[in-house]
Amino acid sequence: MQSSLQIKNLQLFRQNEQLLSVNEQVVGGDILTIMGPSGSGKSSLLNWITGTLASSFKASGEIWLDGINIDKTPTHLRHIGVLYQDALLFSHLSVEGNIAFAMPKGNKKERIEKIEHALEQVGLKGLKDRHPDNLSGGQQARVALLRMLLSEPKAILLDEPFSKLDTQLRVDIRQLVFDQIRDHKLPAIMVTHDHSDAEAAKGKVITLDLIR
Amino acid sequence: MFTQIVKYSPKFLLVVLIFPVLGGLISVLLQALGWAPALEQYNVGLHGFNALMHTPGLSQMVVLSITTGLVSTLFALMMTLMILAAFFNSVWLNRIQRLLGPLLVIPHAAAAIAVGFLIAPSGMLSRLVSPWLSGWDLAPQGMFPHDAYGISIIIGLTLKELPFLLLMALGALAQPEFGKKLHQQHKVALNLGYCSLTAFFKVTLPSLYPLLRLPVLSVLAYASASVEMPLILGPNTPPTLAVAIMHWFNDVDLALRTKASAAALLQLALTGGLVVLWLAGEKVIKRLFCDFLTNGKREYGGVFWQKIIVVLTTLAASFIFVALIGLVMWSFAGFWRFPAVMPEQFVWSHYQLALIQISNPLINTLAIGIVTTVCAVILTLLCLESEQLNAKPLSRFTYLIIYLPLLIPGISFLFGLVWLQQLINSKTVFFNVILSHLLFVLPYVFLSLTSSYRRLEPRFSHVAASLGASPCKVFFQVKLPQLFAPILIAVALGLAISFGQYLPTLLSSGGRITTITTEAVALANGASRRTSAVYAVLQMVLPLIGFILAWVLPKYFFKSARL
Repeated sequence: MQSSLQIKNLQLFRQNEQLLSVNEQVVGGDILTIMGPSGSGKSSLLNWITGTLASSFKASGEIWLDGINIDKTPTHLRHIGVLYQDALLFSHLSVEGNIAFAMPKGNKKERIEKIEHALEQVGLKGLKDRHPDNLSGGQQARVALLRMLLSEPKAILLDEPFSKLDTQLRVDIRQLVFDQIRDHKLPAIMVTHDHSDAEAAKGKVITLDLIR
Repeated sequence: MFTQIVKYSPKFLLVVLIFPVLGGLISVLLQALGWAPALEQYNVGLHGFNALMHTPGLSQMVVLSITTGLVSTLFALMMTLMILAAFFNSVWLNRIQRLLGPLLVIPHAAAAIAVGFLIAPSGMLSRLVSPWLSGWDLAPQGMFPHDAYGISIIIGLTLKELPFLLLMALGALAQPEFGKKLHQQHKVALNLGYCSLTAFFKVTLPSLYPLLRLPVLSVLAYASASVEMPLILGPNTPPTLAVAIMHWFNDVDLALRTKASAAALLQLALTGGLVVLWLAGEKVIKRLFCDFLTNGKREYGGVFWQKIIVVLTTLAASFIFVALIGLVMWSFAGFWRFPAVMPEQFVWSHYQLALIQISNPLINTLAIGIVTTVCAVILTLLCLESEQLNAKPLSRFTYLIIYLPLLIPGISFLFGLVWLQQLINSKTVFFNVILSHLLFVLPYVFLSLTSSYRRLEPRFSHVAASLGASPCKVFFQVKLPQLFAPILIAVALGLAISFGQYLPTLLSSGGRITTITTEAVALANGASRRTSAVYAVLQMVLPLIGFILAWVLPKYFFKSARL
């Protein structure tokens, strides 16, 4: 069965003021792009999907992942991976520790092999024992991507993940992330206010307006 | 002139702190070795230590000090972490903070009196279950307080230190950059499939703990050497080491002083040993749980633990509040028969009676508190200003010295300090008491002002300087007005700390100056419950007034500024 992430009749409010309404479905390998100025509720939309919407917001609507309604599912059981603007690597763990943290439990040796293999694929061979604070911005972004992918998510959310990278790096990392999403055939939603991100995603683009 | 004063203030601060602590320790050491010119004893030797070793029950005292200190610190820390973990992303964390915040101002002596009333055979707990559950129509025989195992001390210390540690942790999480990062990392862990409790322990705690270390160690040092709590709640035969030391020092037999000094050094070693043990324990735990952090396991019965924590938190909170309500009721109680939960009538007479005797201790308390706090705040502000003028932070050594009085047990150096003070100046005990109080007030005032001072927007000062204002003018007319609210909070905190000091007041004044706190402790074990309840309530009300003023005044002033 093809995997899919569906938002059914979402209406998002902040103190009785409607921010947005969305009704969309994304299938595996596709990237839905949501654009809009800050304050339009883009990030709150992602928070609603992961189940971490702040209490000052209200939402109605349903969220379906692979044919299952997950409105009431606690955040940690939703299997939705998120990439943020900052890499948010855990500074008390090494690069390897950060990725191992995200992987399902299992045989220690196999896990280590898998981490080494994954690091090699994204050009980070031999960096597994490094401390995340000593990595460059691009390296941190790659580790964050691996950490998210190896947690075996069923869908992916991208919260302006490239906005802190400079131009050339941005193109490279974006290509890497999009390729991985297509390889893993995962449905993805990206919020951004950069048009080049939207074009590169080659998917449907929704533009939100500030509703006054 | 101003820049000169500012420049030398950190050095002055070091002198004010190092001289009394180090001088106190050295003179305790000299006395322990038998060199006490005041007593005309000059035969140096180890007889003080010999006498100490042959004291019956010494090992019991040491064990009691170690267990009560270690167990209460462990309990308080565990409860703090469990509450943080269970309510990390919940609105309840703020509610718990607001509920527990005011408890911080309760001095140890008042807390001990309240806990004593709670767990005594005829205390609130047994009243709440009698006679319908327990069948007691008369107050039962009970072991609390003063039980030989120190359980009462542990309960008292745990309940007192829990709010302190929790608020220190919440204070760390309230730092803008750091707190945001920890909350985001916690969210990442949730997205990766970790249940909230596991996410806290595997992701948040390793980053948070380094900021909790100093508060935890100061709690451990305090708990292992405190005098008020074990004096009011602990056993007498034998008491904890710190209490025994105090008795020996105050004994009419001056020969006991040598032994007491030796014991003060033993106390220093004991507390130091506990701190080292704790730090070693941290290392072991870190090593043991290294693999656990990244093993990928996401759930350890979180739902079950969540329930347990909610129950425990409710229990601890209700213990605290029943204790406080009981205390207030005792201070107003007329006739109050045993199983009744409430007194038969409420009367003012205990307060009226106390007010007659209280004017002197009250004036002393306020005078010492105000002078000490003003000194501490001025010194702290000057030091922080020197940091900004020099554009480099105070050295690590300075920090260590500032927090030294929190980590070295007062009982180990105060007796030596008092001896020095009497040598130099025995006329104005008032000044001596203030100097001793300053040692304990300064660290807290410093802690509370540092972050606000560093968060000042530097561009205001730059603008003022470019307009031709001198550093002095910038300090008084630009910086201080912006710090109005934090300074008031620091003043309230300083007053609260000073009001609560027992040992420094008692010793530095040679018993000649009484404060509300020394009276409360003196009355706790002898006088009627009602009288000691009145003093305990007064002990809590004084600092509370300070904090309420610190909270209200800025609102009032800023409101008038806007009009």
